[in-house]
This record gives sequence, C-alpha cells and structure tokens, in this order.
Amino acid sequence: MIIVIGAGPAGLAAAEAASRNGTEVALIDSASRKGGQYWRHKTSVKGYKSDRADSLFNKIEIAPSITHIPEATVWSIEKEGELFRINYLQGGEESSLTAEKLILATGAYDRSLPFPGWDKPGSMTPGAAQSLLKGHGVLAGKRVIVSGTGPFLLPVATGLAESGAEIVGLFDAHNPLRWLMSPQALLLNPGKFGELIYYAKLLRKYKIVPHAKRALSSFEDGVATVSRVDSRFSLKSEGAQKFQVDVVAAGWGFLPDLSLGGLVGCKQRVDSDGTTIFAVDGDQRSSLENIWIAGEATGIGGADLSLLEGEIAGLSASGQHIKKSLRGNRFRKKIFADALKRTYPVRDGWRSWPQELTTICRCEEVKLGEIRDSVSELGAEDSRTAKLFTRAGMGLCQGRVCSRNVSELVAGFTHCTVSDSERIASSNRPIASPISLGLLGDGKK
Amino acid sequence: MTKKISFTFNGQEFTCESGQSIAAALIASDHRELRTTRFGNEPRSIFCGIGVCFDCVVVIDGVANQRSCLIEVKPGMKVESAS
Repeated sequence: MIIVIGAGPAGLAAAEAASRNGTEVALIDSASRKGGQYWRHKTSVKGYKSDRADSLFNKIEIAPSITHIPEATVWSIEKEGELFRINYLQGGEESSLTAEKLILATGAYDRSLPFPGWDKPGSMTPGAAQSLLKGHGVLAGKRVIVSGTGPFLLPVATGLAESGAEIVGLFDAHNPLRWLMSPQALLLNPGKFGELIYYAKLLRKYKIVPHAKRALSSFEDGVATVSRVDSRFSLKSEGAQKFQVDVVAAGWGFLPDLSLGGLVGCKQRVDSDGTTIFAVDGDQRSSLENIWIAGEATGIGGADLSLLEGEIAGLSASGQHIKKSLRGNRFRKKIFADALKRTYPVRDGWRSWPQELTTICRCEEVKLGEIRDSVSELGAEDSRTAKLFTRAGMGLCQGRVCSRNVSELVAGFTHCTVSDSERIASSNRPIASPISLGLLGDGKK
Repeated sequence: MTKKISFTFNGQEFTCESGQSIAAALIASDHRELRTTRFGNEPRSIFCGIGVCFDCVVVIDGVANQRSCLIEVKPGMKVESAS
C-alpha cells in the first residue's frame, strides 16, 4: 500500500497514477474536499475553470483501489521496521495507518512580508481572499487592493472583481518586462500566452489597471498607502498614494509546507530563490528509501508542474514505467518555474518597510524593535538566538509565517547573508501540527 | 437552495449558509474582528485563510485554539473570542 499525504494537484495525480496497476492507495488530507488550495469545489463562483480537476476527480472516484481519508491532520510519521506509521487527528479522534511507501504532496502557502498594519483586521494574504471566495462564497471585502509580486495576483484580483468587489488597485513590486530575461521559458510553454490573454481580457472588462514597481507600505484605519519601490524593493519617498479600502491582500510568492518530510529527515536543499525545499531525484524519490515527494515542496512551480511531478511519483512508487514524454513535459514546466523565480524574486529592500513597533511575529506579538535589540543589546548573532531571546517564531504557527523573515532581518542587523544551513534549520519544526500534551503523551504507544 | 443555520459569536446570534467556515460566516455578516491578542490587546482577523497562521483562533463550545478559517459552522455552535 501507498499513503499519499495531500490531495491537491500533486497528491491527486500521484494517487491516480499509482492506482492504474491496482496498487492500494490511501489519500489523506486535512480538508473535507479533494483539490487542495488550488482546486476548490464551490462551483457557484463565476470564472472557476475546473475541467482538468473534474476529470482527475472522476478517475479517483471510480478507482476501486483508492481510499480518500478527509479532514485528517497528520501530526507525525514514525518508522516501524519496514513500515511507516502515519498518526493523524480526525474530528478530534486520534488514528493511525501503516504502509510500505509514502508520497508527500503537502503543497505551499503564501509568503507574507511585514509592513505597518499588516496585522490589522482587513489585511490578509491573496490566498485567504481566494479561499473565502472559492471555498465559502464570501467576498473578503468591497473595496480591495491586491499587492505583492507574481502572476498569482491576477486570478485573485480578477476573481474578486468577477464576484462584485471593486479592485481599487493591483500593484506588483516588479516590472513584468523582466520576463524578457527568460524568452525560452515562454517559447517552451506557449500555453502561458493563452492564460495571459485570458487575464488581460478580464482586467480590461473590470477596468483594472495593473501598476508595476509599487508596494503596499502601510494599512491603518482603512487607509492603505502604496509606495513606489526601487529594484531592491526599497521605498521611494516621493509618489506615495493613499486609498480608502476595507481589504488589502498582499502576497510575496509561496513557501512550501516542509513539516512532515522534515520530521522523518528527508534531505533538504535551498532553491535558487532562497526557499528551502526537498532534494529529489528524477523519479521524485526523496533521500529516504520508499518516500517520494511531489509538488511545491520540491520547488515552487504551480499546478501544472505539480500534476506532472505527482504522476511521476505515483508511477515510480507503484513500480510502473515512466514515459519519456512525461519527463520532457516536467522539464519544460521546470524551466517555466525557474523563470518565475527569476522574474519575481523577493528583494532585501523589504527589510526597510517595518518600523520599530511593527509586528514581525504575529503569534507572539514580537515587534521589529525587539528583534533589533536582541542583536544590538543582547548580542544575538544568528536568528536562532534572536528567536530564543524574543520568542519570535515560537507561537502556535511555529514560525511558518515569520521564520524566514526573522532570519533575513537578523542577517541584515548582523551584516551577514543567511546561510543555507540556517535557511534549512529555520524551515523545520518539531511537530507538524499543534496537538495537546495529553495526546502527545498517549501517542507514543 | 443552501440551508441556513445559526450560531452565536460572543453571545450574539448569526446566521449563515451551511458549509461555510466560522470566519467566512462572520465576514459575510460584516463582522471582521475575531479576537484580541494576549499582550497588546490588538484586534485580529483571518489572515492566511488556510489554517497555517493560527491568527483566527477562537473558542468553540469551550475548546480553545480552534482555527475559525477551517472549521465549518454547525447549528447551535457557541463561538467565543479567546480572552
């Protein structure tokens, strides 16, 4: 049997591929519905394209060897001889499952950068606005600014507009002309032109004019300030604009969820954009025997790449032949993913956005000034020590939101760059999901 | 036609469509603030929307630290801001 953890594009593709030769698959996911963050089921929302998802869902529905385990949060993985034991919580009850092989497809979440007011109600990630809309049919706000960097801002802004929000502004800190650095990525993926035209039409329909080289610099009492930024993301003093809005949605690319693979010790490396990811071979095998990893946790690349990686992982784990064309397609999508990272890198200038009293760690309410003092007054020389002094990254989210930012801030204060080993160390956490101490005590039977 | 269900948040009654998360239901009723923070007493609302950041945690039927962005409203649910 194979356990696939995560039912987004990569996990669904892996389960479907593995089931083709009758291999038993348990597909486990924390949500009640399949599809992950990318495919959500609420079909009443206009503009939701789901043909590809529907075909994959149907194949999984009719595959007799796939069991879907919904609403199950995996909190640990243990090795028992030749087997892996997966411990999970489902409706408050603890359960576990064993299998010889694992495929991890745990996806990614929005990266956030701190600015004054980013912790105020009304400030959220583009993914939150998207999930409210697609998952729950709720508009995050009536007057919305979408900001950050990267192509994901387009479906968020146009999706909100289609459902009746007024998009007060769409601001990318980078200039889209940066794509000219990567002509081969576009030529190898001509389908992307179709997507671009699709969104360009929607932008025109809803009269949304995207502005480049600007970033949200504060959000106070319903007033958002948008500033011009230079190529390093430092704020320019002239040309700032103010807007009355009820929601600001800012996103700076994505961070993969590394929790489970990190717990069992799958080897990690630092990607070209500074993101910690898992090292895998051409068959999506991790450094550990009988564990495969697919999707965003092996490098941020979007759903198209995740589907191919999932399919390859599923075929490999179930001992089926992997066609050359599949590997070729993955190669083309990887070139596109690399171009995305080259076009929309998060520059260090963001470190000048937060002010003395701006929250950096949302959970423990640690302010920028406290992190600076831990370096200048208390002598912290690395982010680990700074975190121990300030409790940054030690709250309920276990540093998922702020860890990388704290590492980069401390590196700035100590005039260093963040080393690969520190990037990897700050991306890992001891438990995949918060659980009660009582459960932790019982769990080790 | 989706079923309407009702629940309470800090003692006040709200109605929503069945299948909606607590956070979504409250935002749909123009109620954005979900809790105040422990130290600074600052208002917080939904942030990541997908269960990663734990900023939207509430007390549900007496159980603390529940993520209101993930948990669907059930009829008669008693939701409170953490104090």
